[in-house]
Amino acid sequence: MNKAANNRIPTDWNGAIMQKRIAGRYAAERRFKAMGFVAVALSTLFLAFLLFTMLGQGVRGFQRTEIAVDFDFPTLTSGATAASITGANAEGALNSMDLPGIIELAMSQQYGDKGGELLTSAAVANVRQMLLADPQLISGKQRLWLPVDSRLDVAYKRKGEPAAEKTVETLSQNDVLRTGFNWTFLTGADATDPSAVGIWAAFKGSLMTMAITLLLAFPVGVFAALYLEEYAPKNKLTDMIEVSINNLAAVPSIIFGLLGLAVFLTMFGMPRSSALVGGLTLALMTMPVIVIAGRNAVKSVPPSIREAALGIGASPVQVVFHHVLPLALPGILTGTIIGMARALGETAPLLMIGMRAFIPTAPQGFTDAATALPVQIYLWSDEVNQGFVEKTSAAIIVLLIFLLGMNALAIYLRNRFETRW
Amino acid sequence: MTGTALLFLVLGLGLVAWIAGRARAAAFVRAAKGGPRGQVNSLPSYHGWFVAICAIIPAVFFMFVWQTISPALVTNTVLASPMTTDLPQDGFARAAILSEARAIAQGFQTTAFQAQSEKLVPLYKNALAYYSWIGMAGTLALLFAGGAFAFTRLKPDFRARNKVEYLVMLALLFASLIAIFTTVGIFASLIFESYQFFSMVSPFEFLIGTNWNPKNIVTPGADNGYGAIPLFWGTIFIGAIIAMLVAIPLGLMSAIFLTQYASSNIRKLMKPILEILAGVPTVVYGYFAALTVAPAIRDFAVMLGVSNAASDNALAAGIVMGVMIIPLVSSMSDDSIAAVPNAMRDGSLAMGATKSETIKKVLLPAALPGVVGGVLLAVSRAIGETMIVVMAAGYTANLTANPFDTITTVTVQIVALLTGDQDFGSPHTLAAFALGLALFITTFLLNYVALRVVKRYREAYE
Amino acid sequence: MAETPTHSKISTRNVNVFYGEKKAIDNVSIDVDMDNVTAFIGPSGCGKSTFLRSLNRMNDTIVGARVEGSIFLDGQDIYASSMDVVQLRARVGMVFQKPNPFPKSIYDNVAYGPRIHGLASGKAELDQIVESSLTRAGLWAEVKDRLGDSGTALSGGQQQRLCIARAIAVDPEVILMDEPCSALDPIATARIEELIHDLRGKYAIIIVTHNMQQAARVSQRTAFFHLGNLIEFGETSEIFTNPREDRTKDYITGRYG
Repeated sequence: MNKAANNRIPTDWNGAIMQKRIAGRYAAERRFKAMGFVAVALSTLFLAFLLFTMLGQGVRGFQRTEIAVDFDFPTLTSGATAASITGANAEGALNSMDLPGIIELAMSQQYGDKGGELLTSAAVANVRQMLLADPQLISGKQRLWLPVDSRLDVAYKRKGEPAAEKTVETLSQNDVLRTGFNWTFLTGADATDPSAVGIWAAFKGSLMTMAITLLLAFPVGVFAALYLEEYAPKNKLTDMIEVSINNLAAVPSIIFGLLGLAVFLTMFGMPRSSALVGGLTLALMTMPVIVIAGRNAVKSVPPSIREAALGIGASPVQVVFHHVLPLALPGILTGTIIGMARALGETAPLLMIGMRAFIPTAPQGFTDAATALPVQIYLWSDEVNQGFVEKTSAAIIVLLIFLLGMNALAIYLRNRFETRW
Repeated sequence: MTGTALLFLVLGLGLVAWIAGRARAAAFVRAAKGGPRGQVNSLPSYHGWFVAICAIIPAVFFMFVWQTISPALVTNTVLASPMTTDLPQDGFARAAILSEARAIAQGFQTTAFQAQSEKLVPLYKNALAYYSWIGMAGTLALLFAGGAFAFTRLKPDFRARNKVEYLVMLALLFASLIAIFTTVGIFASLIFESYQFFSMVSPFEFLIGTNWNPKNIVTPGADNGYGAIPLFWGTIFIGAIIAMLVAIPLGLMSAIFLTQYASSNIRKLMKPILEILAGVPTVVYGYFAALTVAPAIRDFAVMLGVSNAASDNALAAGIVMGVMIIPLVSSMSDDSIAAVPNAMRDGSLAMGATKSETIKKVLLPAALPGVVGGVLLAVSRAIGETMIVVMAAGYTANLTANPFDTITTVTVQIVALLTGDQDFGSPHTLAAFALGLALFITTFLLNYVALRVVKRYREAYE
Repeated sequence: MAETPTHSKISTRNVNVFYGEKKAIDNVSIDVDMDNVTAFIGPSGCGKSTFLRSLNRMNDTIVGARVEGSIFLDGQDIYASSMDVVQLRARVGMVFQKPNPFPKSIYDNVAYGPRIHGLASGKAELDQIVESSLTRAGLWAEVKDRLGDSGTALSGGQQQRLCIARAIAVDPEVILMDEPCSALDPIATARIEELIHDLRGKYAIIIVTHNMQQAARVSQRTAFFHLGNLIEFGETSEIFTNPREDRTKDYITGRYG
């Protein structure tokens, strides 16, 4: 009855056709594996290329080109003494001294009529700081190194405009140019001249925004996670809360910006461009992340702990706040840090609520106009002036270092405190 | 007295209330010493908390309400004065004068640029002082009333713990409700502004028009340049086509390589590296796309002989966005493949199938729903992405399928429409909300379907 | 509603326990006296743990669990709305099947209950409570030099004695033990049984066990449960030597279970 099966010719595994077929299958196997490898390699290469580009350009952003300027202070200031710029009145004395004029004069004496144009606007503040730090400078002839204008800076570091290149060439022959560390970049604020810009204002804006975000999103997120995991009854309302949270976690960030604009700015009339509104908007965005991480952490606390505490007569609230929450805290913190890192890198919602303003001084309060580090990066990237390219990359390096630090902290916390039950 | 100082005063008095309540309850405990157990229901600190909460919460609540309504009251008082009759009738000029006068009165500004505002400063000063005095008195009165009420209720058998815990539960519930408020807030504000927009511009023009060149003054019935089709197309072209052409093969193959082929050491090394790709801020990707990738692609296109290659071409934005999405696709594929029961894989291998045959013919088909769910999530993420396209893609609406051409997206136009000092009610601003609504609905549906697909898939194998 | 409560420490009258639609305990009435160890025995799934958990309302934590009938502690209905469940659990302590110390120090494990119930007026008194509880649980000598160590670092038997010390620290009147030795080795079990002996004079102890030798060794009275019903309840010596019911006899002689 099984004729066909019986008549079947036995497979000749060693025959040429079969061998060829098997070789082909192995070749396909190798190709497939190679494709997988290429996919991973491409992703990694892209990341490496990105980081390398940013690093390569960014390093120059931390450097500045300085020019030697000879000051004959006694003549230039008509006899100011070290004593006059020491003590409580130092600031006032310097203000009345017309430093910009003095520098202009010194430059034109040394480098000709248009000598003053060689320097960047930040040079005045630099001289001021040097004099405050060491008043003795004013009582003699000094050679100070001051930052040059952005065009020369670009020309000295790489290729700039032809005119600037020529000037740099002449100056270099006289040995009056050198490369120094750009302190202004770490302490300053936005400016129109790329040589004078700094990230401190934007960074402070980011810190203030993050502070508001953390202050709101953390307690609300933790409370919501505790409620949903420990107390929420199974009903319509709870379902709605769950759907809302899952949905909010996936809403595009720009939508939160629109919410901030419509509700916080227009409806409540809160101050535009402020860290307060930025923090509120990002808090709404970060809260679902914390809730989801928090719920997972709370869920992983074994029920025997709750039973033990209940068995001694702890109330449900005491059980949660004395036992469950402390045990879940490392997990919650890890999730919070990751959510905060995401908020720190967020740009789009902040553009919507006007944190794209030109901020030449660091914000003093939560309602002052402010900007944030990623927004500053966006603003600088839009500038046509070549000098901004390296500043943008340098700001990106600072941002990435912070994000890396936060993520490393999260990983450390997870490994250090993770308990397996 | 400023709001902050008042807040600190309230908190300080709250501490006093806590101490008082606690001390009173401690006295009950001392009195009950030696007697039968359970005479004093709650620990003294709960009594303290009860008094403190009763004192602080109503007062702080009143403070915030007062902070929101008092500016309007101040303005009304100032406007009621006969000195304001000669103010310009024009709303904008009038508001400028009033806000300057207020700023000077509050000490935020030192000199007046408008003569009229100078006059109003004393009026404002009086009104501000008057209303802030009322606010302060009201806050403190509520604080003392609440504290005193709570303090008189304390008795040895008073269930302070139950009351405090009830309030804690309310706080937890309220925190959970914020998620609903936010969702409703997003939806309501988008709907409300969009409704206003569509009362000016026909929904048909918006949804099926192909001319995007928004005019700030709209004429009913005419073509006002609010045809959003080119934007929808641009969003799909960059986010759902180019980006996915990059992300799906690379993400899926990475997941396969890392889970099926790589040694555990390589996996441990490479997984975090892929995760870094997801952690890089989008503004950095955007900058990289605009600065490095886009010019390279344009040069490449010119080399190929494409004459109209733009420097803000769609390809650069799409590729970089694709790279950003790789980790998402990869981790979702990873999860889905891992969820396929080992018996299936073993069955295939036992028949003499090679690893790649097993993956292609058994694992992937079985994991397909999960992978599809992941791809839907990735698309939703890509079309909502803003910074990469704002920095690398163009601002000109363009109904083209040429990847070297410039093209714009919904999110780019939202940013463009809201940039600059637009009046909030202008058609430009409102159009941004209509675009936002379209984006919100699309991503919501994508996420919903994706999560359903993934969930059903997981359940199938559990 | 119920009969007049007796002078027993715990008395239950016509208690039914449901899990959703399923009836887990059917019409159980029982009296437990002070200074006695009462053992609940029976095959697994017979509802003895369920019944035990209803005695300090730990069933409240299970969604869908419902108790009918009356349970009195010193004549007071524990399911009455006037009963504070927190105080009830302080008076009726519980030791669980698997040792479940808090991941805190040994000291804090024991001190936790006295702290939340405000039983100590100062550090010295708290120290005193911790020491006496650990001593009574037979653990003091082993841990007195490392009270700061985590409770989870102890061995299984020590952990269970720590849990008993934790229950004693709240100064309960009744201690419920839900198969306290089922996760322990024989030597640790022997220590716990000894401990139960020592504790007997001060508390009413109810122990659920499916180890009949254990029931015979530690208890004065025994209740036999089967399929949610209380089959027989009496003096332990009586039940083990001369059971009235055939089902009891079959179970004790190992015919099923």
